[in-house]
Amino acid sequence: MRRYVVYRFGLMVPTALIASIVLFGIMRVLPGDVTTVILSGSGSSAHSVEAREALREELGLDDPLPVQYGRWLWSMVNGELGGRSLTTGETVRTLVGRQFSVTLLLTLYAVAISIAISIPAGVLAAVRRDRWPDYLIRVVTSVGQAVPSFWVALLIILVFLVWFRWSPPIVYAPPWRAPIEHLQIMIIPALLLAWEYSAYVTRVTRAAMIEVLSHDYVRTARAKGLNERIVVWRHSVRNAVIPSTTILGLQLGTLLGGTLILEMIFGLPGLGRGVVQAAVERDYPVVLSVSVLLVLTMMVANLLLDLLSTWLDPRLRVPQG
Amino acid sequence: MILANRGDPPAGFDTLRTSSIALHHVAGSIFGPGNLVRRCRANVYLICPDLAERWVVNPGFTEWTFTIRDDVLWHDGTPFTAEDAKFWFELAQFGAEAGERIRAPAYFKGELGDIERVEVLANDRVRVTLAERSVHFMDILANPRLKIAHPSHLMEPHLRKGEMSVSPMDVGLVGTGPFVFLDYDRGTRIRVRPWDRYWERNENGTSLPRLGGIDFIIMPDPIAMDVAFRTGRLDGGARGQGHYLTVERKRGYDRELRDEVVYGEMEGGMFRLAFNTLKEGPWQDPDVRRAMSLWIDKDSAIAASLGGYAWTAPSLGPSNPFKGTRFINWPRFDGEPLEQKRAEAQRLMASAGYVDGFEMGHLCRPRLLPQCEYLQAQLSGLNVDLKLQIVDSAEWNRGRVSLDYDSQEGALTHSLIPEGAESVFGIYSENPDSYAKHEDPQIDDLFRRLKSATIDGDRVVVWRELEHYIYVEQSYIVPIAEIIQVVPYRSYVKGLVIPPEDGHTHTDFATVWLER
Repeated sequence: MRRYVVYRFGLMVPTALIASIVLFGIMRVLPGDVTTVILSGSGSSAHSVEAREALREELGLDDPLPVQYGRWLWSMVNGELGGRSLTTGETVRTLVGRQFSVTLLLTLYAVAISIAISIPAGVLAAVRRDRWPDYLIRVVTSVGQAVPSFWVALLIILVFLVWFRWSPPIVYAPPWRAPIEHLQIMIIPALLLAWEYSAYVTRVTRAAMIEVLSHDYVRTARAKGLNERIVVWRHSVRNAVIPSTTILGLQLGTLLGGTLILEMIFGLPGLGRGVVQAAVERDYPVVLSVSVLLVLTMMVANLLLDLLSTWLDPRLRVPQG
Repeated sequence: MILANRGDPPAGFDTLRTSSIALHHVAGSIFGPGNLVRRCRANVYLICPDLAERWVVNPGFTEWTFTIRDDVLWHDGTPFTAEDAKFWFELAQFGAEAGERIRAPAYFKGELGDIERVEVLANDRVRVTLAERSVHFMDILANPRLKIAHPSHLMEPHLRKGEMSVSPMDVGLVGTGPFVFLDYDRGTRIRVRPWDRYWERNENGTSLPRLGGIDFIIMPDPIAMDVAFRTGRLDGGARGQGHYLTVERKRGYDRELRDEVVYGEMEGGMFRLAFNTLKEGPWQDPDVRRAMSLWIDKDSAIAASLGGYAWTAPSLGPSNPFKGTRFINWPRFDGEPLEQKRAEAQRLMASAGYVDGFEMGHLCRPRLLPQCEYLQAQLSGLNVDLKLQIVDSAEWNRGRVSLDYDSQEGALTHSLIPEGAESVFGIYSENPDSYAKHEDPQIDDLFRRLKSATIDGDRVVVWRELEHYIYVEQSYIVPIAEIIQVVPYRSYVKGLVIPPEDGHTHTDFATVWLER
C-alpha cells in the first residue's frame, strides 16, 4: 500500500508539470496583455506605448518565454507559489492562502451536507423503491441535476429581497471571527452546491443499493431472520456506497466549478472568483499557480477517495509480493 | 458610510499606474481629491488650490512655480514638502532606474507634457519646467486621476534598493487625504477612518472630513450591489461601467425605496463609431464614413442600447462651460430630417461604388454588446455588414491601441478641456489610443492652433473647426450619444459633491455626512 501511495504521489509531479506547461502556453496564446489592463484600468483612459513597454520590462514580460516559465517554476519550488500578482502586487502565496480557505470551507460544507443527505436518501429510495419516498427523492434529485445552481441562487436572492427585504451579509468573515455572519453568508451557497452535488450521488447510491439488495447474501441474511435494519445498514450499505465514493471524486471538479459562479453571486472572496478575475486580467502567475494547485488538489482528493474505496472494498487492494 | 466598490483596487493602489475606477473611488478618501491643484468642489470646470496654495507661471507658460501649503501632513505625521512634489513629478515623468532595473513612468506621462526638469526652490516651493509652452498645465494637473499617493520618505528607500515596483500599498497607503487607511481585507472590504489632522475646512470653518469613516465593500457583481443596496446594507453604490444603474434597475430601486434613495448623475463618455482608416477597406473613403454617419439614427440609440440614460451630444458635455451658448455643435451639424439624411447616405454610398454594401469588422466588449448590436442593426440598412469581434477586456485593451481592427467604439476617456482630447482624436503615431486611427496632419495642426490659442473665443473657433473636421468633413468618428452614469445613494447621505461629468472626480467624500 505504501508503495502504491508513493507511486501515485510520484505520478503527480509529471502530471502537474505537463499541466503547468499547457496552461502557461494557453495563457500566452490568449490575446490580450496584462500591461494594457493595468494601464487602462476599466478602459477609460489613454496611455502611451512607451509606458506600456516600460511596464512590460518592469514586470519581466519581455523576457523569453522559457525564462519566464523557469522563473515561475523556481518560485513554485522555493515556496513562493508563483511570485507576485502582476496586477495587485500581492504575493501569490498570500493570495492563495486567503482565497483557498474560503473555497475550501464552502466545498467542505457542501461535501459534508451532501454526504449526510445523499447516502441515507439513496438508501431510503432503494429500500422504499417505487413508493412515495422514492418518488420524492427522485424528483428532488432530478431537479438538482437539471437546474443550474446559479439560477436557483438568483431565484433565492430575489425571493428574500422581494418578500423579506433581506439579503446575505456583504462582508465575508471567517468562522473563527464572526460565526453567525459566516453562517449567514455561507449557508445558501453551501446548500445549493450540496443539492447539485448530492443529486448524482443519491441516484448512484440508490441504483447500487437496489442491486446489492438483490444479491444472494442479502437474501441469506434475511432468511436467517436478521432484523431488516441490520440487513440494510450492516450488510448492504457498505457495498452500495463503493461506487458512490468514486462518484464523489469524479464530481469534485464539478463542485469546484460550481463554487466559482456562486462565489461571484454571493460575493465570496474565494479561489473561483479570484482565478476568473485573474484570467480576465491576464494575471499569468496567479492563473498558472492557482490552476496547478487545483490540479494537485484534485489529484490528492482522488487519491484519498481511491484509498477510501480500497478500505471499503478489499478486492481492490494491491496484492502483496 | 458603506459604499460598494467595483472591485479590488489594482496595481497596489498606484495612481501612477492605472485610472481604474476601482482604485480611484477609494483613492480620493486616502490621497485626497487632487494634486497640487484640483477641480473645485463648487464648479468642476474651475481650478482650485489643493496641496499648493498658490502658483505663478512665466510669460512663456513653460515654468510653473508652486508654493506648497504648510499645513499638509502625510498620514504618518511627516510634512508634505516641495521634495514630495518633485519626487512625484519625476516618478510620473521619468520613472526610475536602479542599475539595470527600471520603473515605468506614469501611464499619463503623455498628458503631462514634456517636463524638462523639476527643481526644489525652497522647502515649500517647487518649479516645473516644460520643454514646450503649456497654457493649460493647471487643467491637466487638476485631473482627478493624478492623485499624489507616493510619499518620498517612504518610497525612495525602496527604489534605492532596487525595488522598482514598490507601490503605495507596499508602504502602508500613507496619503494626505481626509481619511486614513485602516485595513484592507482583499476581495472583501477596505476601511478608512477620518484623519484628524487633515488641512481642509469647509466654508463655515468646520474641519473636514465629517464622516466617522467609510467602508468600501468589494462587489464586482452589480446585481449583488443592487440587492445589498435595496436591503439596506449599503449607503451608496459603486462608480464604474456596469455598476451604473440602467433604467430597468433604477425602476426596482424606485419601486421599493421611493424617497429613501437619491441618484447622482454624471456624464460618462460617448457612444461612438470610430474607423481605422490606416487599415485597407471601403471605410477609408470619407464619403463612405459620412454615409454611415448620416444613416445611423442617433436618437433611437438612447432607448435601444443605452438603457435610456444618454443624450445626443457633442464630445464636450452640455454642461461644459467651454461649449457655451455660442457654440453650435453636433448634432446640429446634421439637423435635417432622418429620411433626408438617409437618402443622402445612400447617394454617397452609390457614388463611392458601394451600393451593394460591404463587410466591416467592429471590435466589441461583451458588456457593450447592446451598443455593438445596435450599430450592426442600424448599418445593415445601408448594406454594411458589421462583423462583431467580441473580445474580453484584456484583448480589447490590446486591440484598441493597435491597427488590427476595422472599427471600434473607443474608450471612455474624459477630458473637461478640448486640448485633453488630443490623446483620442490625434494622429495615431503620437496617440496610439486614438479612437479613429489616422495620420491626418490637419488634425495635428488644429490641435497645435488650439493649444496656442490663449483667448477663450479663439479656442472656441478652433475647437469648432476641429469638431467639424473630425465629425463631418472627414467623419473619422461618428458621435452617437453621450452616456449618463447613475449612482444610487441613500437619501440620508448629505453633502455629496456629484460632478456633472467624469466619475473619477470628488471621490474624497470629505464634505459628506449622514443624517439618519
